[in-house]
Amino acid sequence: MKPFCRLVITLTLIAAGAGLVLSLVESATREPIAAQRKIQQLKAISAVLPVFDNSPTDDCVVLEIGRDKKDQPFSCTFFRARKEDQLVGVAFRVISRDGYSGAIEIMVGVDSQEQIVAIEILSNSETPGLGSKITSTVFKDQFRKRDLTNTDWRVKKDGGEIDQLTGATISPRATVAAIKQGLEFFKQHRAQILARQGDPL
Amino acid sequence: MSLTTEFTKGIWDKNPVFKLVLGMCPVLAVTTTAENGLGMGVAITFVLICSNFVVSLMRKLIPAEVRIPAFIIIIATFVTVVQFMMEAWAYDLHLALGIYIPLIVVNCLILGRAEGFASKNPVLRAIVDGAGMGIGFTLALFILGAIREVFGAGEIFGYAVFGASYPPVLLLLLPPGGFIALGLVLAVLNRCTQHKV
Repeated sequence: MKPFCRLVITLTLIAAGAGLVLSLVESATREPIAAQRKIQQLKAISAVLPVFDNSPTDDCVVLEIGRDKKDQPFSCTFFRARKEDQLVGVAFRVISRDGYSGAIEIMVGVDSQEQIVAIEILSNSETPGLGSKITSTVFKDQFRKRDLTNTDWRVKKDGGEIDQLTGATISPRATVAAIKQGLEFFKQHRAQILARQGDPL
Repeated sequence: MSLTTEFTKGIWDKNPVFKLVLGMCPVLAVTTTAENGLGMGVAITFVLICSNFVVSLMRKLIPAEVRIPAFIIIIATFVTVVQFMMEAWAYDLHLALGIYIPLIVVNCLILGRAEGFASKNPVLRAIVDGAGMGIGFTLALFILGAIREVFGAGEIFGYAVFGASYPPVLLLLLPPGGFIALGLVLAVLNRCTQHKV
């Protein structure tokens, strides 16, 4: 019994020590990490919207946009950008799971007429050099000024208007479909998204 | 063995990647650019030095029956510390290395040094061994990353090295390219040195 006790006590002490170290490091890095994430988010938002003077990360609404495979609510945050208190655009993040490998996260910015200002690929794990070229400016820039009415939202190979990439159709196709879905959701829920706290719908 | 040889053996004679061929997961996965290789190497060196230090310090307190779980807890703690620090102060690197940082826990190089060296040697030797092995590992990751970046993308640290007319060998950036680049480096080393891998 005695050696057994020693094993238990040693492991418990080591684990407790590890826990102590981790809690110290966590509390020391919590604020810098939160600040980093906010900076990154603001950077992505600024890249896809016209000039604004408010803080969209504070002026945002979270809506449930659907349910995932496990029936958990799946939400999307809409960041509202204003200039001199007038709404100039809204940025939101869409995620596509139809890419070649892993999820593609896209930040989409629309102006008050629901036209796309710009898009930004936040993260992807598409094939380097082929599918990953969805992050190139040539690909991203073709989304400017497009909306649901003026564009056939398919890649050219499928009869639409968006240029796919040489050697990669799956990644652009997934990107285009996700952006289209995002725009449709925005159109349907426009009132909810734009409503300010206290504003009548 | 003197402390100096203890230090230099990890860099060359027993280089963990080129001679021992240990811990290949990050070697193949993150070396698509020189910068990623360097970042991963620094993270591993930090974990290796810290875990060797603590394991050596506690080598007489840890009963042999539970040494492996004890080592893993110690290693996992330092890996998590690295992960927190990287996210706080090197965010771009954190994004680039992603899942491979937590995977350092199961890197057999680190457990191997804890079990094979630190648990049998005094503290100073263990630290020196960890530093040497870590630097050797970093060097290897950097060399592989640089080769793959230069020939696979025509760049080094993001700067173009060849003119625009250079067609990049995309294959080198894809997962099979990792194996091919490593194989070529090992072949050259086998040719030039006595030690055969």
